[in-house]
Order: sequence, then structure tokens, then C-alpha cells
Amino acid sequence: MKLNEDDLYRTSTQFRQWSFTAEQLAAQRAKTNLQATERVKLNVARQRAQRAQATEFDSTSGNSGIDTGANTPNAVTSDKEVDCFTVAEELAFLEEFCERTMALGQYCKFSDGAVATCIQFLRRFYLYNSPMTYHAQNISRTAMFLAGKSESEHQSLDDFAQRISSEKTKVTPEQILAPEYLIVQALRFNFDVKHPFRALKGGMLDLMSMVNGKYEGPNHSPHKTAADLSTALHQLPRKAGGTAVRATTAQLTARIMEESYAKASQILKKTAPLTDVYFMYTPSQIWLSAYLLADEPLVLFYLSVKLPSTSPVYGKVIVALRECASMLSSHRSYRKLDASKEEQAKMDADHRAEIKRLIKKLKTCQDPDKVDLVKLNQAQKRDAVQGSDLDEHKAKRRKMDRENFQKDSDAFWGPELPKNGDKPA
Amino acid sequence: MSKVARNGQARQGEAGGASLSQSLYSLSLKPSSSRTDAASDVCPVCKSSRYLNPHMKFLVNPECYHKMCESCVDRIFSHGPAPCPIAGCARTLRKGKFREATFEDLKVEREVDIRRRVASIMNKEQDDFETLKDYNDYLETVEEITWNLILKIDVDETNTRLQRWADAQAAETGAARRTYEPDPSVPGASGVVLKKGGQRRAELAQGVTADASAVKDKGFSFHGLKKRVKPPPEAPFDPFDGWSIVPQYYALQSDYDADWLTRHKGSVEQRAGGYQWSDFYSRALQDALGGLTVFIEDEIRARDVPSMDASVGTQHAAAAAAAAGGRDVNMDDVF
Repeated sequence: MKLNEDDLYRTSTQFRQWSFTAEQLAAQRAKTNLQATERVKLNVARQRAQRAQATEFDSTSGNSGIDTGANTPNAVTSDKEVDCFTVAEELAFLEEFCERTMALGQYCKFSDGAVATCIQFLRRFYLYNSPMTYHAQNISRTAMFLAGKSESEHQSLDDFAQRISSEKTKVTPEQILAPEYLIVQALRFNFDVKHPFRALKGGMLDLMSMVNGKYEGPNHSPHKTAADLSTALHQLPRKAGGTAVRATTAQLTARIMEESYAKASQILKKTAPLTDVYFMYTPSQIWLSAYLLADEPLVLFYLSVKLPSTSPVYGKVIVALRECASMLSSHRSYRKLDASKEEQAKMDADHRAEIKRLIKKLKTCQDPDKVDLVKLNQAQKRDAVQGSDLDEHKAKRRKMDRENFQKDSDAFWGPELPKNGDKPA
Repeated sequence: MSKVARNGQARQGEAGGASLSQSLYSLSLKPSSSRTDAASDVCPVCKSSRYLNPHMKFLVNPECYHKMCESCVDRIFSHGPAPCPIAGCARTLRKGKFREATFEDLKVEREVDIRRRVASIMNKEQDDFETLKDYNDYLETVEEITWNLILKIDVDETNTRLQRWADAQAAETGAARRTYEPDPSVPGASGVVLKKGGQRRAELAQGVTADASAVKDKGFSFHGLKKRVKPPPEAPFDPFDGWSIVPQYYALQSDYDADWLTRHKGSVEQRAGGYQWSDFYSRALQDALGGLTVFIEDEIRARDVPSMDASVGTQHAAAAAAAAGGRDVNMDDVF
């Protein structure tokens, strides 16, 4: 009974719960979008009807309590037909907020791992929930707070709230806590996200042991001994299809550990979290793809050592890596690296315009029931005080009952039995 | 049968040689039916009655099963062993052995004590015998020696046999040797019994040497008793239940060289914190190559197709399995 490293990965929740094929992802997003659209339309219609009734009722005031006086009309106050997000718009909106969260995490001095975890939390959350239902602004703050906790980089709630609130927008601790349980439940309590960061370091260790001629692992390449491997590595071409030039060990080390590593690491930190690769590939495949983009001959050589080139698995791995790499390289943040200054500026401008349009559009299709999460959260709690619904007498009696029950159950033999003459409780 | 006959003789002999002490002794062991309630409430030593002292407690000592009140026990035996104050008994008693009688009838109390002692030695079960008949024979033998002890017949001989049996059992199982405590209520040095037992032992010893000199005398031999099979030695506990992790794509080396490591390796902070570099290596390499050949698309497709086992049930069940696909249902949101 032996387990290999693949079996270990198969036991992770990331594989069992959060791995999808491209079709599954698309289908799930379409389903979520459809459900959210229906719900938004229903809720908006209901609220509009209520509002119409209210204005009829006190026609003198002319202004109901729902209109907060903001000059942009929201879904309820405007008269137009609700125009909901499409799946593509939802995804674009989500990606924008993932990027903003990345900036937020860096601003709050969270490590790259925690930020990447937070982004995965967001992506997982919005797979089953729509930004139309829960605004990404609220969710991303809480997701960041949660990710800090789950990556053991906890910042106290008050500090965190203070740090992220600005002059314009004040963030209270309640606002951060309100959707916490909602998020945790949507994540199915799976807090562990497997990142390719440590994997990249592990790969570097393995490669360096090959360079130094100390490699002891399985070897399927034609270079049989560790020394042969080392020689072959020194003669690897710089680019795919390039000519082989013998490099010194110092040059090779610099190539692996500084140039390629830095580039791959940058891709993993800045681009990989923003794409769907976490859903569709394993961390091992992700780091190898990133490295493939950085230094193709090295990765191919590495794979030829690890897997026999005659086996069908070898071909499949290469195909998977190339697919993953193309997914990474087609992302905007990666394309931006190669683009010229003007192109970059143009891309950014386009992107900003698009986002501005989306944010404006969201205002008119936000689910009016789920705007105030703090209030919703309070309503769920015991003895929630909604205005003065629960009268004082009732609350007092409930509190007394609770205290008495607590006291009784603390007693060693449990609550006292009813005395003979008494009425049974 | 012969044993039963001998029992009869022994009882006659006992009754015939009745000295004053013997008769008094047997008198004091009379069943309670002959006593009135009032008599049972009076201490035979100090004559104080329960009427005057409602909290009076009566104690007996398994040496002679004579009843006396707690205060008498305190008074007489506090300073060490002393002879029993009941006339004609005079056995040396110790305070520690006194206890409250469970049964009102002290004969029953004594019988229960004897049975308990015998049962602790003769503790075979039906599974230890080849046939039911052998087991029944064994039970009969046990009952016979128990009655011998209760009726004070061949006490010494039976006791030695029991002790030998206990020794033999201890040697066989490798357990600690337990000494058989002979019945204290039968005076071991009593002339008649000793003589008889001595004779018997001599006869027995002769018989043993005659039959099989090589075989050690176990005290008893039972037909059909299975030889004890030694249980196999317990295997060391395996927390992983036989599973082990064998990496397929890497071999963990004892040390790795990398620039960013050499900076940390010598540092006091790492060593003081008890940081294990080998842990980091194994986790990093596991991360690096774990899932390299896990193709999510293929595996999820395979996961969604119901296996042949699932289609064994009704068509409906198969459809349900396909629909669920091993996934949990989507949770509705909490708000």
C-alpha cells in the first residue's frame, strides 16, 4: 500500500472540491448568473411596488426613506428595465476586484501567499455567487481578513479596519465581519489553498542538485549518471531551438536562480492568481508552465529526466503545460509586460473605461435586498434588535430564562425536579 | 465413587474423636435457624445487645468465623494478634482480617469463601477442552474438591494439589505465580488431618514416580484438556495502517544547495526555533511534483461517469449517482 505524491494531491480539497474542467466552469458561471439575474429582477420589482405604495401613502413628502439622496439612480429608484450583468461582464468585474485586492493586500503588508489565497477565496466565492448579489468591494475586504487568518498572518480586526478605511470611505469592524460566515460557508470551510510558490522553490532545489551533479532521483534521460546530467545541463541552449553553448556553472546558476526564477516567480505572483489556472491545473503544473514561459529548454530537459519520453504521460504533461502556459500568457497582466509604453497606456485606459462602465452598470442591477450586509447579519443573530421590534419586556424575560437554564444545567445533577405539590415544569 | 465412600468414613472419624473444643467449635458454626433474633443481636463476647447500642456492627474473621461486635474487635485485637475470645476456639486472629459477614448464615459465608478461592485456581473454560464431556468431568472434579474443602476432608492434600496446579498453570502461561491460600478456618496442624494428608502425599508421590517419573506432578490431570497455544507476539503499532508515502518523481536528498538557503542555514534564529530543513525540503519537493501527472480534465470526466458498481442498482439510482457526481449539493446562502 503505497501512495505517491499525486495521490497525496488527490486527497486535497483543492482537487476534490475546487477543480473543474473548462466546460464545468463556464456552466457553473452561467448558472450562477442566471439565478442571480432572476433574483435581482424579482427583488427589484417587489421593492419598486413597495415604494410605489409608500409614495401613494404619503404623497405629501414625495420622497420615501429608501432613496438615500445619492444622485445616481440605483436599481430601485430608476424606472428603467433592470439590465443585468452578463457572464463575461461578471468575470471582468471580478478580475478587476481581484487586482484591487492584490493592491489592498500589498498595502496592508500581507505576504504574496496570503494575497493569492485571498484571491482564490474570492474566485471560489464568486463561482457560486454573483457580484450582483454581493458587491465585490465588501466581500474582498472580508476575504482578505479571512485569508490573513488562514495563512497565519492575522491582523487584528480593528487594526485592519482602520488601515483600509480612508477619508472618503469609513470601514467599520462590523462591515468586515458581516459577510464572514457567508464567505466561509460558500468556501465550504475549505481554507487550504495549494499555491505553486513553494513548489517553485522545490523545483529550484531539484534543478540545482542536477546542476551540482548531486541528483539522486529517478532519471529517464539518456544521461545516466549525475555527472552526465550536470554536463548536459551546462550545454542547454538558451532559447528553444537555439544552439548549444557550454556555460560555466556560475552562468548556469545565475540563469536558473536569478533570471528564470525571477520571471517565473513574477508570473506566479502577479498573473496566475488572476486566471482560472488554479481551478484547472495542479500547482505542480502551474509552476512548470510559468517556468516554461521563462525558460523553455530547461523545463523540457527537467521533464525528460522525470518522465520517460516514450510514455504517453510525457506527451500529456507537455500538452497540459503548454495549455496552462498559454492561459497565463494570454492574460492582460502578462501581455502588458511585453508591450511598449504607449500600448501599455492604451491598454490601461481601455481597461479603466470598461471598469468604470461596469461599476456604473452594477449600481442599476445590484440586488436591493443584499446591499446592507451588516443589517442582514444582525437580523440573523439572537435577540436582534431591529428598530424597536422586540419590546423590552420580552427581551428581558428571554434573558432571564436563558440565565436560569444556564444556571440549572451547570448544577451537578442537572435542573431540579419539580417538588411533590408543584405543577410539573 | 470411592471418594464418596471415603468421605463418609472421614465424617464418622471426625464425629468419633470429638473433643470438647471440637464440639464447641462445631456448635458455634450452627446454622442461624437455631438462634433467635435476640441472640443474634447480642455479642457473644461482651454480651452487649443491639437494644442498648443500635449502631452495633458484628464482624467475623475467616480464621474461625466467630461473630463478635466491632468494639470487642477493637478492644481485643488493636494491640496485635490475639487468641479468639470464644471459649474453646483459641485461634490466633488478626484485626485486619475481620470483616462484616455478607450472609447471615456463616456456613454459607465460609462456603462462598472457599468456592472463590478454588475458582481462582480452577479457572478453565469450555473452550479449553476438546469435548463437552471432558469439560463436565473437569467441573465434577472441581466440585468434588470444593466439597472436600468445605467438609474438611483431605484438606492438606487438596491444598497441596491445588498449589501445584496453580504453579503448573503459572509456568505454562508465563504469568506471575499466584499462591493458593488454603482455607484458614481449617487448622493445618490438626493431628488427624495432617496424618492423613501426609500418608496420602506419600502414597501419591510413590504413585507419581511409579507412573511417569519424567512428568512433573501438576496436582491434577484432566482428560481432553487442550494444550495452551501461545498467542502470537503483538505487532508494533502502525499509525498509518500499512500505508506509506513513496515519491515517484523525486528522491529526497539529505541536503540541497541554494543561495537563498545558505543565507538562512547557519542563522541562530532558525536553529533556535527548531526548524528542520529536511521538512522544508520534503514539503517543497512534494509541492513541486505532487499532481504533476494529475490531469484534472480527464479525472473529472472519469469522476462524473458512474462506475459499473453504481449501475447495479435501479436505473433511478444510477441516474441519481450521475447527477450527484460525488459532489455535495450547492448550499443556499445564509442570508
